[in-house]
Amino acid sequence: MSETAEAAKINKWDGAAAKNAVDDAIREVMTGDLKCKESFALIDGRLFLCALAVGVALYALLWDYLYPFPQSRLVLIICVSSYFILMGILTLYTTFKEKGIFVVAKEKVGNNTRVWEASSYVKKHDDKYNLVIVMRDTNGNTREASVTKSFANFIDVNGTVVQNIVSNEITKLYHSLSSEKKEK
Amino acid sequence: MLESLFDDVRRMNKRQFMYQVLSFGMIVSSALMIWKGLMVVTGSESPIVVVLSGSMEPAFHRGDLLFLTNYPEEPVRVGEIVVFKVEGRDIPIVHRVLKLHEKNNGTVKFLTKGDNNSVDDRGLYAQGQLWLTKKDVVGRARGFLPYVGMVTIYMNEYPKFKFAVLACLAIYVLVHRE
Repeated sequence: MSETAEAAKINKWDGAAAKNAVDDAIREVMTGDLKCKESFALIDGRLFLCALAVGVALYALLWDYLYPFPQSRLVLIICVSSYFILMGILTLYTTFKEKGIFVVAKEKVGNNTRVWEASSYVKKHDDKYNLVIVMRDTNGNTREASVTKSFANFIDVNGTVVQNIVSNEITKLYHSLSSEKKEK
Repeated sequence: MLESLFDDVRRMNKRQFMYQVLSFGMIVSSALMIWKGLMVVTGSESPIVVVLSGSMEPAFHRGDLLFLTNYPEEPVRVGEIVVFKVEGRDIPIVHRVLKLHEKNNGTVKFLTKGDNNSVDDRGLYAQGQLWLTKKDVVGRARGFLPYVGMVTIYMNEYPKFKFAVLACLAIYVLVHRE
């Protein structure tokens, strides 16, 4: 990836695009300034489930092509039911396991490994960007901090994400979670 | 506007792009699985067909959508509307059963005719074939929706239109994030 991320220009009135742009900026900060290593396990899990579902569908297509309908009946029943079961599992996975988390980063501090998870959500037609950062370390500590700010704090009038402001905000959260200060 | 679409794609990293491709794959797969599921449930190799000609007027018109079932336990009876394919030809034909011969062991042979035609279908059958059998039948008509099938007819008569619609859908899904 390039050293300096090209400032992404998005339609500032589009809530989904704005959330994606700020999410990307935060990912840049965590892997860049804060020097954490991104872990792709969560995303890979989702990709695997999707690929499996598409694979099942392709298998059914191929089998039905080679052995036309009445003979392929049993294989089709198995494939169709497993496809929809996989869809159900995928939905459960994205709702309960992923929960809006867009970056998972690992960091080694001394002999401690800390896992940072950042998730965000925006309500429809609302300009507030809600960010939740959770930190888990190998000592068993779990700390969480959340920030709710309007997009106007991060995105300038042209629709460009101002990387510095995002970086300051995230670094502030990082330090408050890293220090021994207890939250709540 | 086209550029902003491709900007989005360029900014995606490898994994996000893979996810876009898989999302597209899943939409196609879902449609495919629903179709195959219908095939299994109705027992017919083509559970939804479009009426292509006016040979069944006034019951069915060109462009009507028909829902078929093909359960082996239900025998074909005179007066029922069946959809069949003549050996060697791909096009399904929707006509009514006129005459039927049935043996004790259940084998049947029957003759069909379109309501709006003046002659029976012997002219449509394969060379030397005088009767249809169960294996030529795709299914029996159980329900219909008027006019809905016209879209399919247009897409088949103007392949460029079909290509344009599918291309736009594909591009939209591949580029649009979440």
